[in-house]
Amino acid sequence: MPALEFHEVNKTYRTGGTDIVALDHANLTVDDDEIVALLGPSGSGKTTLLSIAGGLLTPTNGAVHVGGNDITSYSAKELTQFRARSVGFVFQTVNLVPFLTARENLLVVARITGLPSKTAARRADTLLKELGLDHRAQNLPTQLSGGERQRVAIGRALMNEPELVLFDEPTSALDTSLGEQVMELIRKEVKGRETASVIVTHDTRMTAHADRTIHIVDGRLDAGAAQPA
Amino acid sequence: MWLALREIARSKGRFALLGGAIGLLVFLNLFQQALLNGLVTDFIGAVENQNSPVLVFSEQARKNVEGSFLSQDQADAIAAVEGVADTALIGQNTFTVLAGGDDADAVLFGYELGGLGEPTALVEGTLPQGANLAVATEADADAGFGIGDEITILADGGPVITVVGLASESRWAVTPTLFVSYETFEAAQLAVNPGSEVVLPSLVAVQPDDGTDLDALTDAIDASVPGTEALTNQEAIDGNPAVVNTSQSFNIILTLGFVVVLVVVAFFFLILTVQKARPLTLLRAVGAPRAFLVRNLVIQIVLVMAAGIAAGLVLTFLAVVTAPVGDVAISVRPSTAISTVLTLFVLALIAGIASIRRVLRIDPIDATVDAA
Ligand SMILES: Nc1ncnc2c1ncn2[C@@H]1O[C@H](COP(=O)(O)OP(=O)(O)OP(=O)(O)O)[C@@H](O)[C@H]1O
Ligand SMILES: [Mg+2]
Repeated sequence: MPALEFHEVNKTYRTGGTDIVALDHANLTVDDDEIVALLGPSGSGKTTLLSIAGGLLTPTNGAVHVGGNDITSYSAKELTQFRARSVGFVFQTVNLVPFLTARENLLVVARITGLPSKTAARRADTLLKELGLDHRAQNLPTQLSGGERQRVAIGRALMNEPELVLFDEPTSALDTSLGEQVMELIRKEVKGRETASVIVTHDTRMTAHADRTIHIVDGRLDAGAAQPA
Repeated sequence: MWLALREIARSKGRFALLGGAIGLLVFLNLFQQALLNGLVTDFIGAVENQNSPVLVFSEQARKNVEGSFLSQDQADAIAAVEGVADTALIGQNTFTVLAGGDDADAVLFGYELGGLGEPTALVEGTLPQGANLAVATEADADAGFGIGDEITILADGGPVITVVGLASESRWAVTPTLFVSYETFEAAQLAVNPGSEVVLPSLVAVQPDDGTDLDALTDAIDASVPGTEALTNQEAIDGNPAVVNTSQSFNIILTLGFVVVLVVVAFFFLILTVQKARPLTLLRAVGAPRAFLVRNLVIQIVLVMAAGIAAGLVLTFLAVVTAPVGDVAISVRPSTAISTVLTLFVLALIAGIASIRRVLRIDPIDATVDAA
């Protein structure tokens, strides 16, 4: 069963009398252990697509299935629960709670979902170790470098063992070599957990780490995006 | 709790500052209430701690003992009212006296020995058993009003009164007070007003029949004896002009104190919530329900209030124990402290409403857009 399916999804923003079409009849299928790179210029609708897949935004019309469930029928409460349990999200800008340490930024996810604290601690420590952050676990975000912060965000997104992880430009704030490292790490983590993921980028060099690259221009996806590789 | 505690731990300074501010306000508030209690007791202790449940004033006096004079006819008429078991005359006036070698003011309460108007808070010695003997107020014992001390009414032929007992919290108008026989009071009055022929009583003390409703009885006396106003002991205290004025002034200050707490707590948490709008949005975006964030906010409010109030109570306790204000006996009544604390918690939660509304308005989609 595919991890993510978009079927004829439209999203129109209505601002001050004018309509902005951010997603235009988008069709997309991501297999359950596939890494898809979503490549497109600024304003093409990448964040909009991720937000809809992640249950943050409801499409104007069309069907969205995550793990076989139609999330467009979810109530606000169900969407909140869906975000807590089924998806991981690395946002374009703010990803960490400034008054929590690196480790606590992972643990807070478990607090939200109500995971037993022993299981949560074990999972957080494993992730921090895999991400090379064990010596940074007790540091606050302000005491971390940009690359380290991004790695903590990846750990946070994986904390709830999601079936789908969404990365919104995870390397844009990093230089190329650091960006490559982070992409490598994402690949390792995601593949090791058989989790599907969509990685948004506008840097073609980063697409090498994905299984498949899909282009988006003016809210329109490649014609073949609905066929998994 | 987990999130709330961690945030407090990482911003100890701010939360300590707020807790400290609350503590000081609680202290100020409780100390003022204690002071008010002390002052009120010093104003009306003599009436509060005497044994007559009902006191009849002259109507023109408007609850002011100093302005109250009743005639013998009125006293007789009061005694005849249905439900009245017994009556007695009470005379009250302020005299210049010689006490401990110095001129001083003293209030005399003359009552019929062994009857109504007798002081009830005797802490040392005995009640007066005859003329020219007095129970004085404990707070003034060292100022020439101790047991065995002689107090002279400064007038030709003014009686010399010997203190035989001390009563606590029994002052009148923050002045040394002597409870003497009615005859001693009359003698003092005649000494300072040599021309007068009769001494009018200030009040008539009333002992109701068993089982008589006090409110009904005071109404009956008002209705059947023209020119009188009968008051229960508590009404006489609450209606005392000095008590009314003092309480009003204090209540304005106390109310302002509560308003300050409300405003300080409201602004503190609103600013805090606005400042951390981004992380709160992030938490909503990764699946935290609204209730999760609201709960954390309320926990923080309760924790800070609890810490501040505890600090305020400790401060108040230390201040009351170590720092007497002049010779006003200040004390915090537990009931006052409890109602103050409860009021503060309710106010703090009301103060939190603005921040709670702010938290409820957070839209998780904002986590996907730039901070700008
Ligand atoms: N809340 C909104 N209201 C109105 N228009 C919006 C809103 N959010 C996005 N848009 C518009 O929708 C289009 C797609 O926006 P989106 O953020 O998805 O682009 P993007 O591909 O993520 O761009 P970038 O690479 O700059 O992050 C843009 O034209 C944008 O201006
Ligand atoms: Mg974007």
